[in-house]
Amino acid sequence: MDPTPPTPRWNHERPFLTGRFHQEIRAPNHTSGAKPYAIDSFSRGTGNVVGSYPVSVQELLVIEDLLSALVGIEGRYISIKRVRGKDGHVVFQIDPSMDLALQELTQRIFPLCEDFVLVSQFVESKSHFKNGLVNHAFAAALNAFLIDYQAMVAQLEHQFRIGRLSVQGLWFYCQPMMGLLHALAIVVEKASSNNFSGSATLNLLQSQAKAMAGDNAVRSLLEKMTEHASTAYLAILERWVYEGVIDDPYGEFFIAENKSLKKESLTQDYDAKYWQQRYSLKEGIPSFLTGVAGTILTTGKYLNVMRECGHSVQAPLPENSKLMSFGSNHHYLECIKAAYDFASSMLLSLIKDKYDLVGKLRSMKRYFLLDQGDFLVHFMDIARDELTKRPEEISVEKLQSLLDLALRTTAAAADPCHEDLTCCVEKTSLLKRLINLKDLEGVADNTDEPEPIQITGLETFCLSYKVQWPLSLVISRKALTKYQLIFRLLFHCKHVSRQLCMAWQAHQGFRSFSMLGTPILRSSILCRSMLKFINSLLHYLTFEVLEPNWHLMCNRLQSAISIDEVIQFHDFFLQKCLKECLLLSPQLLKKIEKLKSICLQYSASIQLLIPSIYVPDPDSAFDAATTGTLKSKSKRSSFRGEQLKLASQNIIISDSIMKFEKEFNAELQSLAPILSNSSQAEPYLTHLAQCILAVGTDQ
Amino acid sequence: MPREIITIQVGQCGNQIGMEFWKQLCLEHGIGKDGLLEDFATQGGDRKDVFFYQADDQHYIPRALLMDLEPRVINGIQNSEYRNLYNHENIFVSEHGGGAGNNWASGYHQGEQVVDDIMDMVDREADGSDSLEGFVLCHSIAGGTGSGMGSYLLETLNDRYSKKLVQTYSVFPNQMETSDVVVQPYNSLLTLKRLTLNADCVVVLDNTALNRIAVERLHLSNPTFAQTNSLVSTVMSASTTTLRYPGYMNNDLVGLLASLIPTPRCHFLMTGYTPLTVERQVNMIRKTTVLDVMRRLLQTKNIMVSSYARTKEASQAKYISILNIIQGDVDPTQVHESLQRIRERKLVNFIEWGPASIQVALSRKSPYVQTTHRVSGLMLANHTSIRHLFSKCLGQYEKLRKKQAFLDNYRKFPMFADNDLSEFDESREIIESLVDEYKACESPDYIKWGMEDSAEANVAAALDTKLVV
Repeated sequence: MDPTPPTPRWNHERPFLTGRFHQEIRAPNHTSGAKPYAIDSFSRGTGNVVGSYPVSVQELLVIEDLLSALVGIEGRYISIKRVRGKDGHVVFQIDPSMDLALQELTQRIFPLCEDFVLVSQFVESKSHFKNGLVNHAFAAALNAFLIDYQAMVAQLEHQFRIGRLSVQGLWFYCQPMMGLLHALAIVVEKASSNNFSGSATLNLLQSQAKAMAGDNAVRSLLEKMTEHASTAYLAILERWVYEGVIDDPYGEFFIAENKSLKKESLTQDYDAKYWQQRYSLKEGIPSFLTGVAGTILTTGKYLNVMRECGHSVQAPLPENSKLMSFGSNHHYLECIKAAYDFASSMLLSLIKDKYDLVGKLRSMKRYFLLDQGDFLVHFMDIARDELTKRPEEISVEKLQSLLDLALRTTAAAADPCHEDLTCCVEKTSLLKRLINLKDLEGVADNTDEPEPIQITGLETFCLSYKVQWPLSLVISRKALTKYQLIFRLLFHCKHVSRQLCMAWQAHQGFRSFSMLGTPILRSSILCRSMLKFINSLLHYLTFEVLEPNWHLMCNRLQSAISIDEVIQFHDFFLQKCLKECLLLSPQLLKKIEKLKSICLQYSASIQLLIPSIYVPDPDSAFDAATTGTLKSKSKRSSFRGEQLKLASQNIIISDSIMKFEKEFNAELQSLAPILSNSSQAEPYLTHLAQCILAVGTDQ
Repeated sequence: MPREIITIQVGQCGNQIGMEFWKQLCLEHGIGKDGLLEDFATQGGDRKDVFFYQADDQHYIPRALLMDLEPRVINGIQNSEYRNLYNHENIFVSEHGGGAGNNWASGYHQGEQVVDDIMDMVDREADGSDSLEGFVLCHSIAGGTGSGMGSYLLETLNDRYSKKLVQTYSVFPNQMETSDVVVQPYNSLLTLKRLTLNADCVVVLDNTALNRIAVERLHLSNPTFAQTNSLVSTVMSASTTTLRYPGYMNNDLVGLLASLIPTPRCHFLMTGYTPLTVERQVNMIRKTTVLDVMRRLLQTKNIMVSSYARTKEASQAKYISILNIIQGDVDPTQVHESLQRIRERKLVNFIEWGPASIQVALSRKSPYVQTTHRVSGLMLANHTSIRHLFSKCLGQYEKLRKKQAFLDNYRKFPMFADNDLSEFDESREIIESLVDEYKACESPDYIKWGMEDSAEANVAAALDTKLVV
């Protein structure tokens, strides 16, 4: 790891401090260890062959040597040899000239010595910075154990000094230690051969403790080791679940932080992965935590959010529920659960109460889902001219100021969030935009149709909303985009409806004429059908899709117990709305767009045509010249003449009305089979069919 | 302040219902009797500016013009606790104060005389609004002032503000009992002509039905004007809720009307309201769900147009359009279900020449008005049976006209001078054609009605059959 300080030089230069002197002694390769070096150098060198002493002397000598060997130091007759290729492994050898019985006994003790060397090597090497906190702690615990062990050796030596120790005695006294140290040596060997650190070490310790369940002493030792080793790990865990901080210099913790993901990306990037990937689970989760790893991850994530919001997060948990150990009583699981509950409820109440999520959503609903559409009516009134321009000619600043004006003067003014609303003009039509957003499931990418040529601000106008952290967790860029898609659909429908209303109003001038049998009547009725269509569509979109789904979401938000649930419910709501608003079925949407464009064409031409019939209106001609009394009479006299004109003259009008009627009805009818075919799979289409085709009305 | 609506109340009846209407609006918006916002009215989300504007001192002032030819009712308003609500410049009382004597011609003539004064007021109000959406006229069609002066106003408004909408709340006389106004049929007929030609929408408030509702539904043995007027104000305020408490749809008057009125002349709307209560009267609390409300709205007894008009030839009568404005605490999922249920039960008989279904507008309820029921509903419907009401008017007119009764009163005025009664004939003709048009609506061939070109008719027929399927 990079941040680890370098190991001090003396650690390498002075191996006697670290028990690595065995390496130094090791000669540049011997003949396959059949003849040990030690024998060559020491036995021959001193010339004292132990076998030449009497057995009782030999025993004393060997005890003395053994006492050294027990703490990893060579004696005169006991040599230590490093095993090639196995780091830290040493082999003890005894002078072969020694009495066989003694040799046998001594060799029985050698495993203890070897284990000691192994463990102490481990302690030394794993105390280096780079090995991580768990290894440090484990090494420290081992060290403490070794000190006990050394104390035992010292006591044995004392016994020896006062002449009360025999090899048998030594063997006897070593018995309890042997099993323990051997168990430790097995762990240590595994740990160092696999270069375990962090949770792997813990896992090893735990599994080993379990494996040794039959041996009470060993098990409790290993459990104690586990406990010691995990203290540091627990500290990391504690900081995470109680403060949301990763304090993990050696990268041992199982949660990784990706600092490159900024929370700002939530509001900018459509595919922001902040929430999913800012913190993630790594490999190597301690086995005792695997079940709750997800919980631990989210606990810290929640705390983190709160800290990012500038809230001091203090988990006011009673001392006894702090994480103490990974005891088998599963107390720690309860602690984690408690911490999770705390973090999750704190964050939820923070987001719901302090940041008023529901209020924000309600405000979004007002602007994007037109839940209170009065501001839009006004906005469309005042921004009419600007919106009919081509998208590239539109001044967004102007639209923004008009939008602000509309917001200030309508009921929206009471909404504190109305200043967060901005407007924008997109480059492409809604259909095109949907195709570009490929990740929305269900949008088939089968179209490379060119954009409609006369695309205007009305097709491309869109709202945007400034969402602040932490609400951007819920209302992310992606969620906002979905709102925008729905808005654009609604906005255009509203536009069509407005245009049709204007066409309707144009007809109102014909009240003075009996219209039965005239093209105007036809036109009125066509206008009504179109209005009916667009209003039914709007009704479907709002009352049958948005409102019930919103209602459902609100209820679910009430009962949500964590922010993840909130996000999930909100995303579900949006996805369902998108789907039911047909935004995910381009085929239907295209049909609807086509119908809307017929409506718009009709409305535009009728507003041009009607004034052309209106010119010979006698009212205006007479009004100027006559007084009020005469007026009504003149009206009457010209009444029939006008009627004739209406009936006979306007072949162009009647033709074009017929054309629109035919086109509109044909298009509308062609929707019926599509809707009924797919309504099996998508029940909401039945609702739509009922609305816009008036299917099932008793006619 | 977009899409403002100016209310003009003319005559005794017009001012009385107007007064009730403003009382109701003040209550719903939390505006005090003096026009000041009450302390509790802080919730917002409503649109006061459609019907009110704020004076320099934050008073809310109704966009209302009060006109009468006799001072009694307006004096009453000016002495009531609401005297400070209205803009005093907006009150017009004829100088001589003699009224119109229940004579349409007198009202019309007097209107003509003071046209400058009253149009001044109208212009001033219109200029004071940003984008005026239209006018609402409250009047009765039977008396003199409301009908005569109202008629004149309608013509003038139509002339001068041809781009603006004109909606009227017209009280039709009680035809069950003998009226104190003997010339009522004349007045009604002459006014009906203007309502047909010069208004975009007429909400018919039938006094006969209002009385019936008061007696039968509210169990008032002898309903007073105040009580029936409160019914009217309920309907008026409910029909404007989508403008005042904006929702998903119908946030402007034109959108509201356009969906209801198929052809320019067929613009007479019936209303129904449930559950009905009258001030200070404790009604039993019923279960109000969306379905309940919608069902009740379709019941004849809740509709504020005479039932005889609705039962006669009932098999023929059809709904052209229905808008249900549902107010209150509604679970939106119920709406679809209720519509479905109504469709299954075939509770509504719609016209056959075009797509038709019940439209629903959900609207919030005023938070300041406490009601015992959760959901209330208003139905605005265009129903062809309304023609029977006009036929009845025509019949009464014919009876009177045959006798040549009471015509002298009319001849005194310029319009009928020199025994020129052509205005009557013309009005009759127009009402007849209106009745015909509504009758035509009942036929599935409405579109082709009177169509000369048979080829076109065939095409149309082909299209129709498709559409009906």
